[in-house]
Amino acid sequence: MSSVVLLLSPLWLTWKNSFCRGGSSWTRRIFLAVLAISFWLGTYLIIRRVLRYFETVYELGPGLAYQLLLIILLTFLSMLLFSNLVASLSTYFLARDLDLIQSAPVSPKAFFYARLFNTTLNSSWMVLFFSVPIFAAYEAVFGGGLKLYVWVAAILPLFLIIPASLGAMVTHLLVYCLPARRIRDILFFFGLFAFLIMYFLFRFSQPERLVQPESFGNFMQFLTAMETPSSPFLPSSWLAEILGTTLFKRDNESGFYFALLASYALFLPLAASWVSSAVYLDGWSKAQESRQGRRKLDWLERALDWITRPFPELTGAIMLKDIKTFLRDTTQWSQLFLLLALIVVYLYNFKVLPLDRSPMPAGTIRTIVSFANLALAGFVLSAIAIRFAFPAISLEGKAFWLLQTAPISLRALLWSKFWLNFVPLLVLGELLVFLSNLLLRVPPWMMFLSLATVLLMTAGIAAIGVGVGAMYPKFHFDNAAEIPTSFGGAVCMMVSIAFIGVMVMIEAWPIYQLTVASLRPGRIVTPTFWIIGPSIFVATALTAAAVILSLQLGIRRLEQLRE
Amino acid sequence: MIQLINLTKRYGTLAAVDGLNLEVPTGEIFGFLGPNGAGKTTTIRVMMGILKATSGRALLDGHDVVSAAQKAKAIAGFIPDRPFIYEKLSGSEFLQFVGKLHRVQSSLLERRIAELLQKLELTAWKDELVESYSHGMKQRLVVCAALIHEPRILIVDEPMVGMDPKGARTLKDLFSNLAGNGTTIFMSTHSIGVAEEICHRIGIIQMGRLIACGTMPELHRQAAGNHGNLESVFLQLTREQERDHMTPRAIS
Repeated sequence: MSSVVLLLSPLWLTWKNSFCRGGSSWTRRIFLAVLAISFWLGTYLIIRRVLRYFETVYELGPGLAYQLLLIILLTFLSMLLFSNLVASLSTYFLARDLDLIQSAPVSPKAFFYARLFNTTLNSSWMVLFFSVPIFAAYEAVFGGGLKLYVWVAAILPLFLIIPASLGAMVTHLLVYCLPARRIRDILFFFGLFAFLIMYFLFRFSQPERLVQPESFGNFMQFLTAMETPSSPFLPSSWLAEILGTTLFKRDNESGFYFALLASYALFLPLAASWVSSAVYLDGWSKAQESRQGRRKLDWLERALDWITRPFPELTGAIMLKDIKTFLRDTTQWSQLFLLLALIVVYLYNFKVLPLDRSPMPAGTIRTIVSFANLALAGFVLSAIAIRFAFPAISLEGKAFWLLQTAPISLRALLWSKFWLNFVPLLVLGELLVFLSNLLLRVPPWMMFLSLATVLLMTAGIAAIGVGVGAMYPKFHFDNAAEIPTSFGGAVCMMVSIAFIGVMVMIEAWPIYQLTVASLRPGRIVTPTFWIIGPSIFVATALTAAAVILSLQLGIRRLEQLRE
Repeated sequence: MIQLINLTKRYGTLAAVDGLNLEVPTGEIFGFLGPNGAGKTTTIRVMMGILKATSGRALLDGHDVVSAAQKAKAIAGFIPDRPFIYEKLSGSEFLQFVGKLHRVQSSLLERRIAELLQKLELTAWKDELVESYSHGMKQRLVVCAALIHEPRILIVDEPMVGMDPKGARTLKDLFSNLAGNGTTIFMSTHSIGVAEEICHRIGIIQMGRLIACGTMPELHRQAAGNHGNLESVFLQLTREQERDHMTPRAIS
């Protein structure tokens, strides 16, 4: 035990020192604290509002709230499973202090448990952070008092240990089984794994049951379906059962479910430690070995040449370097699998929308949903931009001196980064909106307006990502995933969201006019230039301002680095 | 004493270390020389139990680095070529941590830290975060960490990189003193001058194989009467080997 505590001491000493004598100013800390509290409060208020609404639904209220809890916990579980896989790969096999630790006489068991704690903490803090306001909201609406919080404190750590142990175990086996230095292949599996987990867990939860009671044939069947956990084998269901007892005064065997949870939470770390003791040294040894060279892919070279040809030579050269670096860095491209999962779930949502049961005319509601979809697509794009466009400059890392000392302008550098991010983001954004509009069967004018808005919005989002990324560069990083979570990343997210908000508001006027017109019976709406034109014009002007201003500010900041 | 018995490490079909047999007696400074990619770092990482050998054994004072890993590591100190130090820890916090990893008693630990920091001229910096250290200072701190538990065997990978002449001199004197007190030192280096100056014996590795080993006069004999300095002996021996194997086979 003391060895485990010792192995964890650099972690808390790092926190202590970063807090007590770290470089970040108090303004920044206060800003982050305010941001965190706002998110916390926002989550609490939204969930409480939803639960209050559920409560008003006669007899179904607790059932709906229970189903929501189940979905939330299922989402947590899937997030935890994936993040633990990635975190354990890093903590057990890729961390930079492994040489130091492994060359010391540390017992393998102490090392395993210390890293398991580390992994659990790294991958679960966000779930912990967001779960508190959710449970508080449930308590505020359905009661449960101190007893609920005691249960939460008792079962949440057990719940977090299960996916952490599974993640550690699977990571050990993957690293052991795959041939030398195949981290990229491992991450490929992780991506695929995450995609499948997300997809299947989402399907298992069957959220559409919440809005389609008639599809169950009768009311009682519907109610029974809602009362039944999605899968009795998932720890999230056991958690929901335990909390349901206190929250909804359900007659459940919470003791049994607690015992189930506790037994798995105790057994899985033990099982993972057995696996680790059997395969760790071999796995870690393999993880350090170099690959034996790469095959040069001619078709890829030709494709890249074709893609970069339209751009000026210098811009093209930087783009070519960035694309190759991206494709050869598994930690970067494996995230595309997550993106794929996101698109599937996103479009699935539109497929299952029960629009035909709305009191409004179907055409009108479709237009409204399509309009809301613009904002949603914007959020998705900005989340992706934070992940890819924002780190664009920072990823130059310690090699940034090469660009600084080369005879190229920072303007050319930033524009190359802009184009490189804008084009794929545009393809994704247009695809998302086009496909969801197809599923919604919106009128042609709405399709046109949506596609035009996404074009403009993407340009703004990509420029904000690249520009703010240049304003807050982070050249020294251990892991590229750290870059978006920096202070600059939060600023970028807020600026992006504000931009999307304003863009959506600009488009709201013509859509409102046309939607109101369509509500008049027997009227076929054909929008005139004077309805759509001005808003498109204003949106274009705003986008141009966002692009120029963001890149300009980014260039200015990078110039200051030379001083 | 260090013993490498038929030590082999393969990366797929590439033999980074190919049947290495070597014995370094107690109190000797052994210089391990070789061109880039010859297998020096791989050998050292296998000796420290960081990499697992494909076959063969490495023994530190009779303890196998795989089957008796903890015993072997407890008596060895390691100075890697690219050391990692927790940037947000102060120098003394880092040494405390490493000392405790090696189970140095608390009362002794404080004394050792003070002693080593003074010897390596870091006392004034002991409470500063490592992130504020220069490259040379970080190197010296890693040396302190490797010596904190008074190891009987010291394994060093490229110790002089980034050191100023004064730091390098301090380190060379330190190694000589340690060897004089019975510590066995296995040192991989590119710096032929350093090897010539302080090593009792020198081994030259190329393509994973030990192509020459011995004292300076013995190496001169092996280089067919080349009586120049170690640099010319090294170049002659490695050139001869290259002629025999035109295709590179090993990496480190």
